[in-house]
Amino acid sequence: MNRNKNINTIGLLLLGVAFTLGSCGDNESEDNVPATYEFLRNGESTVSFSGQTTRILMAEELATALLDFDKSATDLQEMFANEDATGGDVSPFVNESLNSETKSIRSKVAASRDLFSTNATGSAAIKTQMDQWIAAQVSDVFPNENELAEIGKAGQIADGSSTRYINGKGLEYNQAVTKTLIGALMTDQILNNYLSPAVLDEGTNIEDNNVSKVVEGKTYTNMEHKWDEAYGYLFGKSSSVANPLADLGADNYLNKYLARVENDADFSGIAQEIYDAFKSGRAAIVSEDYNTRDKQADIIKEKISDVIGIRAVYYLQQGKKGIEAGNLGTAFHDLSEGFGFIYSLRFTRDAGSDSSKFSDDEIESFISQLLEGDGFWDVTPATLDGISESIAAKFNFTVAQAAE
Amino acid sequence: MKALISSFLIVLLVLSTQSCGENDISEIDIPNDNFDRGALLTDIADNVIIPGYINYTTDLANLDLMANNFSTNPDAETLFQLKLEFKNAYLSWQSVSMFEIGKAEALALRNNTNIYPTNTSEIEENISTGEYNLALPSKIDEQGFPALDYLLYGVADTEEEIVKYHSENEKARNYLTDLTSRLVSLTNEVKEDWVGDYRAYFIENDGSSATSSLNKLVNDYIFYYEKFLRAGKIGIPAGVFSGNPLPNTAEGLYSEEYSKTLFLQGLNAASDFFVGASTNHDEIGESLKSYLDYLDPDGNALSEKIITQFEEIKAKANELDDNFVTQIASDNTKMLETYDELQKNVILLKVDMLQALNIKVDFVDADGD
Repeated sequence: MNRNKNINTIGLLLLGVAFTLGSCGDNESEDNVPATYEFLRNGESTVSFSGQTTRILMAEELATALLDFDKSATDLQEMFANEDATGGDVSPFVNESLNSETKSIRSKVAASRDLFSTNATGSAAIKTQMDQWIAAQVSDVFPNENELAEIGKAGQIADGSSTRYINGKGLEYNQAVTKTLIGALMTDQILNNYLSPAVLDEGTNIEDNNVSKVVEGKTYTNMEHKWDEAYGYLFGKSSSVANPLADLGADNYLNKYLARVENDADFSGIAQEIYDAFKSGRAAIVSEDYNTRDKQADIIKEKISDVIGIRAVYYLQQGKKGIEAGNLGTAFHDLSEGFGFIYSLRFTRDAGSDSSKFSDDEIESFISQLLEGDGFWDVTPATLDGISESIAAKFNFTVAQAAE
Repeated sequence: MKALISSFLIVLLVLSTQSCGENDISEIDIPNDNFDRGALLTDIADNVIIPGYINYTTDLANLDLMANNFSTNPDAETLFQLKLEFKNAYLSWQSVSMFEIGKAEALALRNNTNIYPTNTSEIEENISTGEYNLALPSKIDEQGFPALDYLLYGVADTEEEIVKYHSENEKARNYLTDLTSRLVSLTNEVKEDWVGDYRAYFIENDGSSATSSLNKLVNDYIFYYEKFLRAGKIGIPAGVFSGNPLPNTAEGLYSEEYSKTLFLQGLNAASDFFVGASTNHDEIGESLKSYLDYLDPDGNALSEKIITQFEEIKAKANELDDNFVTQIASDNTKMLETYDELQKNVILLKVDMLQALNIKVDFVDADGD
């Protein structure tokens, strides 16, 4: 700081300003962007996303049921699909209002327009993988409820004062299912479906939106509604639609992990950036400015992809710490969460690109490195570092930033 | 002007650091202080930990004996004797609870000894089926002192009925003695390890790496202070983390008179450990206090602050009712105030002391899922 002060001070000062502005999120001040996510037409709210809230609630019940040892494989599968094996109606939920729904979690898994409309094979493979985890929880883990887990043997393992239930390789199937849903349901639907021009502009959406033609019997245009449905997969359980950041962490899925990333000092501000982009993009739809809309969508795609990437690396690094400290139960729990987030990487998106940030082969390679041999029981810190580095290389954060 | 620009720049940098949360990545090397960590570890082992486990295992043996006496001959007198030994052992446990290192860590001694609230419905199911494996991680809230507390004080309303309950229920008596014998065997294993090979290993591991004895023990100490003393005994029942008080999570819930005594015993053990007071209170050895004073020979400010704060906590805690359930119902503010005083020492111990000793925190707040 003492040397070359004259020359460098001004430059550093400018750099400082640039840094401050650049990293803290610049707000494009659009005149018509409201202070909160509140949009009205003739005095009535045009924001609606009940279907998204419904699926979040279903997914939360499923998460609880995956650790209910009295459940059968059929019970769990019916919660996942909200229908029986022959497509018949079922009532698997505790929350009665969910039972009257025809919506389901499973039908929206790996079901986005951009990534899966011409990839039914890939979509089916992911759904089937999740079916298998759910079935294996009941067939492999439940019978060993009162056994201590060992290498190659499912059962209990202590994680501090918590008890985790793992398969023979150390994986908690319930974590695999729930953390994969964050990608396969929420992230995929937001990034690759509802924020996609293919969905937003479908049919006569642009013409209708340009003349404020609302969906029959509704207060919103089709395009507005699609955008709100994206919003709903992130904020569908928040107590305030307009101010969802007030209770960030409102669900056990994407919202919760956005809160986690927000609470990492390296990434604080990300929740506001995502919220602001949703708000500006929605306002742009109202003012028929589709370029701005898509620019805001790109911000959301990038930031939500970051959340998935950061959490994947975070859990791999926490797992590494646990293994090094000899806390296997803690390590396996972290690695199980990381395992699901790695699957979720499949649904991340590079803004401007028409495909995922990660190919199926890349994901499979990470997974097979984690599971080979005795799985988590003998995975090495070097392997976990290697996967972490490969993931971080696709993002603008470092392993060290994500790790703590 | 230059000065002005520079200070503006600093303000800016500080601002950007704060608002964007850039982490300070500079890693300070281990200081080359010449403090004799080996001597400190020796004193801790010989004056505090080993005598602490000897006291505790002696009390546990008495507890186990009286549990068997009661089981053979359940009446008011044997129940009375059993309750006395229950209290003695529960109190001496408080002095060693923080030393979750070595064999205690490997066996998860604390989790198998004192997880509360205890799960009374599972306990009753265990008793009625007679089938249970207490070694399973999922069973930690069905055993140890909180389960004994329930069996000795909580299974019926009056002492007479409690005696009757046990006289008529052989399976409950078996469960009782299974609980005491498990405490005995787990703790003996820990004590034997200390008086055996572990003492030397503990003392010789006198470096300053993350896995050195002192770094680990100090982390265990702070973890205990934060999670078990501050949160478990006071914060959780007072509702600090839930918004509403949770009186049923108090320690010693069923005996209804020991929650304060148990807390004070844990608190005194924590402050004794800091100043190096031996378990039997007959000498003062090397300690975290003497280490801090060595590093700061002129000031002594930090160690004095910590000691003063321990006194503040004790003063505040002395105002509490013997039974925290009663205290929470009558005036929970006193519980919250005690928590606040406890929290002040979390800052001094976890931030200031660890920085002075150049020890890194090796635990993180649990993810909560």
